[in-house]
Amino acid sequence: MSRLLLEWRRRWRLRRLAACPLRDYLEAPFPQPRRDYRDVEYVAVDLETTGLNARRDQILSIGWVCLAGNRIRLNSARHRLIRVRGNIPADSAVIHQITDDVAASGIALSTALPELLADLAGRVLIAHHARVELRFLTAACRRLWGQGLLVRALDTQTVARRLLERRQIPFKGSDLRLHSLCERYNLPRYGAHNALSDALSAAELFLAQAAHRDTGHGMKLGDFL
Amino acid sequence: MDVELIEIREFLAGNAPFDRLPDEVLDRLPQRLTVRYLRRGTPFPPGDDDRPYLYILRRGAVELRDADGNLISKLAEGDLCPSPCGDGAPSMGGLRGQTTEDTLAYLLPCEELDRLRAAHVEFAAHFDASVSERLRTALDAMTHDAAGTALMTVQVRDLLNRALVHGGPDISIRDAARIMSEARVSSLVLTEAGRLVGMITDRDLRNRCLAAGVSPQEPVRRIMTEHLHTVRDDTLGFEALITMSRLNVHHLPVLDDNGVRGVLSTSDLVRVQSANAVYLVGDIRKARSLETLASISGRLTELQIQLVHSGATASQIGQAITAVTDAITTRLLELAEAELGAPPVPYCWMAGGSQARREQSSYSDQDNALLIADHLKPEDDDYFKALARRVNDGLDACGYIYCPGEVMASNDKWRQPLKIWTKYFNTWIKRPEPMALMLSSVFFDLRPIHDPEGLFGELAERIHTMSKKETIYIAYMAANALKHRPPIGFFRNFVLIRGGEHNQTFDIKHRGIVPIVDLARVYALSAGLDEINTVERLRAAGAARALSSDGAANLVDAYEFIGTLRMRHQAEQLKRGEMADNFLSPEELSPLERGHLKDAFALINKMQESLGQRYQAGRFA
Repeated sequence: MSRLLLEWRRRWRLRRLAACPLRDYLEAPFPQPRRDYRDVEYVAVDLETTGLNARRDQILSIGWVCLAGNRIRLNSARHRLIRVRGNIPADSAVIHQITDDVAASGIALSTALPELLADLAGRVLIAHHARVELRFLTAACRRLWGQGLLVRALDTQTVARRLLERRQIPFKGSDLRLHSLCERYNLPRYGAHNALSDALSAAELFLAQAAHRDTGHGMKLGDFL
Repeated sequence: MDVELIEIREFLAGNAPFDRLPDEVLDRLPQRLTVRYLRRGTPFPPGDDDRPYLYILRRGAVELRDADGNLISKLAEGDLCPSPCGDGAPSMGGLRGQTTEDTLAYLLPCEELDRLRAAHVEFAAHFDASVSERLRTALDAMTHDAAGTALMTVQVRDLLNRALVHGGPDISIRDAARIMSEARVSSLVLTEAGRLVGMITDRDLRNRCLAAGVSPQEPVRRIMTEHLHTVRDDTLGFEALITMSRLNVHHLPVLDDNGVRGVLSTSDLVRVQSANAVYLVGDIRKARSLETLASISGRLTELQIQLVHSGATASQIGQAITAVTDAITTRLLELAEAELGAPPVPYCWMAGGSQARREQSSYSDQDNALLIADHLKPEDDDYFKALARRVNDGLDACGYIYCPGEVMASNDKWRQPLKIWTKYFNTWIKRPEPMALMLSSVFFDLRPIHDPEGLFGELAERIHTMSKKETIYIAYMAANALKHRPPIGFFRNFVLIRGGEHNQTFDIKHRGIVPIVDLARVYALSAGLDEINTVERLRAAGAARALSSDGAANLVDAYEFIGTLRMRHQAEQLKRGEMADNFLSPEELSPLERGHLKDAFALINKMQESLGQRYQAGRFA
């Protein structure tokens, strides 16, 4: 979607929404792409889900952490387990280690999502391969409040792909995985497939990408979008 | 807290000084942190922080240089960077830093650091440089963490696997043999009224009874060994093993407060430890050719590796390896005598340096000398020259390379009668000169290896008398002991070798171990002590008040810690099939070990300074 249209669509939706957490979220303007990326606030987000189909599958957990410019504030780190309907498919439980028992201790999505939205207001969403996160969050918002999620999003995978393409470095699909990229930038490896760990990894990856692209003359937020 | 920050919590928990914080404080600590990423080549500290922070390196490296661009220190994962936090925390003090790798750092606000220091004494102590405790804990951790700690931690009482089998000294040899046979044991302890009077072994029955034609009806007293080495029941298995290798015995009676408790045999030890200096020594004594000796000595590397893995300290490894070197030396002398015939006059083969101190690692170079009885005739020297040549060549073939300084018995200067040796020492003690200082580490650490006629005692006595009257040479030696300084900068950072083959390392032997060995020698000589081993010298010097008992204990710990790191470094190299060396990179160490090594170096520095003041060593340097 066009970056310029985004702000216009935010205002349009704001007028059409009744009072709800999604409306509160939309009150804050999106950060302008022309701003210096170091003056912008971000939220790195990762989801664990029961599958890849946003219409059928459910969110199992959400992890997020806020960034102020090029600094990650660990005091904003959050991890929420979501209570799901029905049983968790065994094949997905193998990956994220969230079993029915664990999920039963979770909270309702309608409780967790407003928390995330409150942090996301006025900030840019960072995710690795952001399409999945955006689809699931949009589906969830639509279910809860009748409208999808409008957000300014920065995809660390897209940033990485563009960089490789621009430098004409050949790469495989697996080179673009979160953990392969973290290794490339000398970042610590956290236990994989935990929503907060992956959100933190994505946040660190963004810091690394920004540090390597910033030649000292400053960069605009738009350069990463 | 969110349990998922557990990985950051665990990282902190593994690094000094955060390892000293209670669990619940550690749980909340990650939330107080900010994360920053500094690309390689970024100035450090970056200068755009909103308030003062302590930087904790999670990944990457930072180099600190002084105003002239000299590398002062390289910080790596787990290190605390100099900060503006002040009050004992490391500070930049005019240095300039730069990241030399892509670096991820955790930032703790200085006011949080202050809060932690105020609330947690143990944590604060890290900044107050309570060196001694930190070292001791580190040493304990290192020896206890090692794999297969068996012999290091087990006491011999737990190795005794059967009830004591014993008899009276007046039973017949046949009855003794019957008791042993029925109990299926290879040794029998002989007691009288609960008191240990002797012991016989299978071998004694064979050698002293059957082969010697002694009647089995005779009392066992006739063939028993009377003067026995014993160990207490709380002795560590490892110490018992060393005692056995040194004495070349296979059985040791174990005593407790009530008398004999049992007999420890080598097979008891082998059950817990397969690498075994005792067996190497046994094989050496049976070896009939140089080739066999050389192939046995090839197993020394294996011995060092196994000892390191079983958690032995540097002292213990040094004792075990030196026991093997002593045995090889003795065996080479026996083989040489078998070829050249009996010596025309008595002689003593003396070892100097690390062999004398029982501090060898596998493949030290050789330092030795020959002391000959005064009544030798000029023509007799041909014999001793040939003898010395054979043993020096033999040691070289066994991997103990020729001494670079030519301190070997085959060198005419170091193959002399007692009266000449007395003259040498008289000169070194009364008119110290630089040459004597160079030799001091060899000849003031001297131990007889093969001395059937007891010549060494006379020389030792004369040295003792001469040195008691003189103190000037000690001042010279004190100055000499300050030559090798630990590789630590003025605020606890490693000073590394720059460029060349050993880039980014430091020489742990010359800058960590030699300084302590030199200090111990000065303390021992100044107090007129006979000990040669560095740990024994320090302990005795502490007891004799030549230095404070705290100072002695701390130096022992520092020596063991540094030495054990060195042994481990070498064992890793040997395991990879490389030559062992002394060049250690800080990156080989865990963050905790790096911290403790810095403590040890700081301690050496302090002790050197106080020694320097006492002898005003600058006057003699």
